[in-house]
Amino acid sequence: MTTRDLVLAALFAAIIVALGLVPPIMLGFIPVPITAQSLGVMLAGVILGAKRGGFAVLLVLLLVAIGLPVLSGGRGGLATFASPTAGYLVGWFFAAVVTGYCSERFVDRSQSGLVQITGFFLAALLGGVVVDHALGILYLAFVTGTGLATAFIGDLSFVPGDVLKAMIAALAGRAVMVGYPLLPQRA
Amino acid sequence: MKTLYVEGDTFLHGLTPRTKLLGLAALSLVLFLVHSPAVLSVTALLGVIVYSSLRLGWRQSWLRLRPILLTIAIVGLFTLVLNGRHDALVVATRLTALALFAAAVTATTSTGDFIDEITRLAMPLERLGLVKAADIGLSIGLVIRFVPEILSRYQAIRDAHRARGLKVRPLTLAVPLIILTLKNADEIAAAIDARGIRAQK
Repeated sequence: MTTRDLVLAALFAAIIVALGLVPPIMLGFIPVPITAQSLGVMLAGVILGAKRGGFAVLLVLLLVAIGLPVLSGGRGGLATFASPTAGYLVGWFFAAVVTGYCSERFVDRSQSGLVQITGFFLAALLGGVVVDHALGILYLAFVTGTGLATAFIGDLSFVPGDVLKAMIAALAGRAVMVGYPLLPQRA
Repeated sequence: MKTLYVEGDTFLHGLTPRTKLLGLAALSLVLFLVHSPAVLSVTALLGVIVYSSLRLGWRQSWLRLRPILLTIAIVGLFTLVLNGRHDALVVATRLTALALFAAAVTATTSTGDFIDEITRLAMPLERLGLVKAADIGLSIGLVIRFVPEILSRYQAIRDAHRARGLKVRPLTLAVPLIILTLKNADEIAAAIDARGIRAQK
């Protein structure tokens, strides 16, 4: 990894941390606050790609592990990984990598805006919703022993919010790509 | 940024980070193999004793443990409804024990010690050519250094919205925040290389 890639990943990790410190943003059309950190994970994949995005999220998880309260609500420390919902947290890394990999595959600069947004949306959906929730459900089912079906039903209530975040990530990803393109990776 | 580390000279403070991490890993394995509520309750009680031996005070302890204990309570409640009393007790005591011991390790290991340990653990990966072990400490330092700056940038963008009578929306907030932040990357990378911090080959 070049120094520039390292710095980009570190800066994005700092953005994800900062997103956990700002108050939840209310969306205009539905009265649900959006906690921005999982949005930040999708954005890392969409904007930085698999390698750098994955490293950025790994850095955030590392900060959590070494006892910095960097998750939203001031959570942090090793106890976070002992929580029944730790699957979602560890899933962030895979979410960023899958989102990044798909973004690199689906989107390139010659496409029209709508195609790019759709590509980013699918990438964020695959990584941030499918992969992250699958890992979260698996671990929750393992910890509680309630079975996958129950864990899945409990998980469903969080899906609409995360689909919405994938949408926001897609629009933001496309806007950043126009303003400051980082994908495909510059050598 | 305040870390969750607490100064002190308890027995746990004296152990090396590696011992504590290996101990925690071993404990979590054992806890998931044990299914007896009695043994798990005793372990959870031990966790309470270890955690209270750190002398954090009730308020501080509650503030730190509240989020995870709340999650465990919710999961325990669901298990109680779905699988009955025995399973709920097993799940709740197991997770509580794990959470307490993990929180105790976090409270007695400084960030610097952790970074040193991670750097050592990454050495084999460095030999494989996957990462540079020293990069980990450097990147963690970078993240901590830039969080306050990003926060002040966030406030500036929010104020700019207000000054123009615009509503603060995730999209109009995130995009300028990200572009402004990532635009610094080239300068920072150049500064790091100019100082020879990453000892290029």
